[in-house]
Amino acid sequence: MQPILQTTRLRKVYPPEKKGGKEFVAVDGISFELEPGQILGLLGPNGAGKSTTISMLLGVLTPTSGEITYFGKNFEAHRSEILDQVGFASTYISMPWRLTVWENLRIYALMFGVEYKEFARRAEKFLTKFGVWDQRNKMMNQLSAGQTTRIMLAKAFIPRPKVALLDEPTASLDPDIAHEVRRFVRDQREQYGTSILYTSHNMDEVADLCDSVLFLKKGQIIAKDTPENLAGSISKAKVRLLVTDGLKRIERFAREQSLPANVVDREVVLEIDEQKVAEFLMQLADEDIHYSQISIDKPTLEDYFLSMSI
Amino acid sequence: MNWHRIHALALRHLYPLKRDFDLLSDMAYWPLVDTILWGVTSQWIADTSGVAGVATGILLGLVLWNVLWRSQSEVSRNLLDEILNNNIANLFSTALTIKEWVVSVLLLSLLKTMITMSILLPAVYLLYKVNVLQLGSWLAVFFVGATFTGWWIGFISAGIVLRYGLRMQTVVWTLPGIMLPFSAVFFPLDRLPTFLQPISRLVPTTYIFETMRAIVAGASVDYSMLAYSFGLNALFLSLAVWYFVRSFVYSKKLGLGRFSR
Repeated sequence: MQPILQTTRLRKVYPPEKKGGKEFVAVDGISFELEPGQILGLLGPNGAGKSTTISMLLGVLTPTSGEITYFGKNFEAHRSEILDQVGFASTYISMPWRLTVWENLRIYALMFGVEYKEFARRAEKFLTKFGVWDQRNKMMNQLSAGQTTRIMLAKAFIPRPKVALLDEPTASLDPDIAHEVRRFVRDQREQYGTSILYTSHNMDEVADLCDSVLFLKKGQIIAKDTPENLAGSISKAKVRLLVTDGLKRIERFAREQSLPANVVDREVVLEIDEQKVAEFLMQLADEDIHYSQISIDKPTLEDYFLSMSI
Repeated sequence: MNWHRIHALALRHLYPLKRDFDLLSDMAYWPLVDTILWGVTSQWIADTSGVAGVATGILLGLVLWNVLWRSQSEVSRNLLDEILNNNIANLFSTALTIKEWVVSVLLLSLLKTMITMSILLPAVYLLYKVNVLQLGSWLAVFFVGATFTGWWIGFISAGIVLRYGLRMQTVVWTLPGIMLPFSAVFFPLDRLPTFLQPISRLVPTTYIFETMRAIVAGASVDYSMLAYSFGLNALFLSLAVWYFVRSFVYSKKLGLGRFSR
C-alpha cells in the first residue's frame, strides 16, 4: 500500500548566525513513511529535530535537500492540493488574539473550504467534547494555555483532514482532558482513517497511542519500532526493595556485582537485567537480606527515551 | 487562485473591525483629526497669503495622502499583525499561497480605503466646503496613482520585516513617513530645497500632487508627467512585489516558525 507521507533523505542545514560561524544541521537525511491510518510518534530530546521536521512537512520551512511526498505526489510541486488534506495543531503556534474562538475556527474552516453549516456542526461537537463550548465567544487572548491547545486541536480536525500533524497536542492539559484528547485522536483515526504524526514528551501517552515510534537524536533517526519493542530493547528492570535487615550487605553486594543502585533511607532501587531478576532474588536470600516490600518495574518507553537521550 | 481562502483572509481582518478601537481609529479617528488640523491651518494660510486655491490644494492633498497611507498600511500591517499574533506559520501551513495572500490584502486595502474616504470626503465638504468630487474623473486617476504608491511602499516594508524580523518593524511606519516630504503633498515641488528635488522627482506621487494642484489652479495638465508617474509606479510596484516574494522565500528558508520563538 502506498504510504500517505514519505520523506527521503530529508535534510535541513541552517546557515551560520554570524559571519565565520558554523552552520547547524537540524535534520540530517531522515527517511520515513507514514502509513494509511497509522499513528506515528516522533520522539526525541529537545533539539533532536522534531519541530524542524514538522515545519518542513507543513511547507513553512524549506528543506536543504531531500524529498517529501504525500499521497505519492511531490510536496513542492503540489503544495496547495496536499495541504488542503493536512491538519496541524501545535502548542507553540497561536491564532489571532483579537478574534473570538468561533471566528478563528470559522476562518480556518473556510481556508479548507468547509461550508458554514457543516463547520458549525463540527465545531459544536468538538468544542463540547473538549469542554470549551462555553468559551466560543471569548477572545483567544482570554483563554488559558490548555484551552488554547484544545482550540488548536479543533482547528486541525474540523476540516476532516486525511493527515494530521500534531506537535505536542496535550502539553499543558490536565490529565483528564489529555485522556479525552487521546481518545478523540484515536476516534478520528478509527472513523475517518486519518493518518497522524504525533510528537509528545509524555512517554506513556506515546506508548498508549502510537502504532510505531521514530526516535530522533541530533537530527537523525536512531530507532524505529513499536513502543513495546523499543521499551523491550532496554533489558534493565528496576527492582525496588524496602530492606528491613541487611542494608549494608545489599549495598556491598551491588558494588561487587557492579549493579547500579540508589539507596534512600531503607529503600533500595537496583537496575538488573530482566533475565537475572530471579537469580538476584535467590542471592539476596543466600546473603540473608530481608525486605518487607518488593516491586519490579519492567522497562518502559520512558526508560528507552532516557537511555537514548544521554 | 482559490476564492474561499481569500474570503477567509478577508474575514480574518474584517471581524476585528467590529470591536477594535485601534483599527477604527486608524480608519476614521486619525484621518478626521488630520482633516480638522490641516483644514484650519490651510484656511489660515489662505487668509494670510491671499493665494487662491491654497486651502483646497492642501485639503485635497490630505485626502490623497490618506489613500496612500491606508493602501500601504493594509499590506505591511496585515503581515506584521500575523507575525505579532504568532499566526503566520499557522496561515501558511494551510493551502494558502502567497499570491492569494497578496490578492486578499490588496482587496482589503481597497475596501478600507473606501471606508476612510466615505468618512473623509463628507467631513472635508461639511467643515470646509471643499468638494473633492469636483476633481471629476481625475479623482479616479489620482486615487489609482496614490494606491499603487501605497502598495509598493507596503510590499517593501513587509519584505523587510519578513527578511530581517521584528527588529525592523519600525519601517512599517517610517518608510511611508519619509515619503511625505518628498511627495510634494502640501507644497509645490519647487519649494523643496534644491538638493532634495532630484529625489522628489523619482517619487511617483510628486506628479500626482503637482497635477492635482494644477487642476485646482485651473492650469493645464502635463500628461507626460502623469505618464511618467504611472510608469514609475508600475516599475516600483513590480520590483516591490518581486522583493516581497523573494523575502518570503528567504524567510521560509529560515522557517516561518522562527517568528514565534
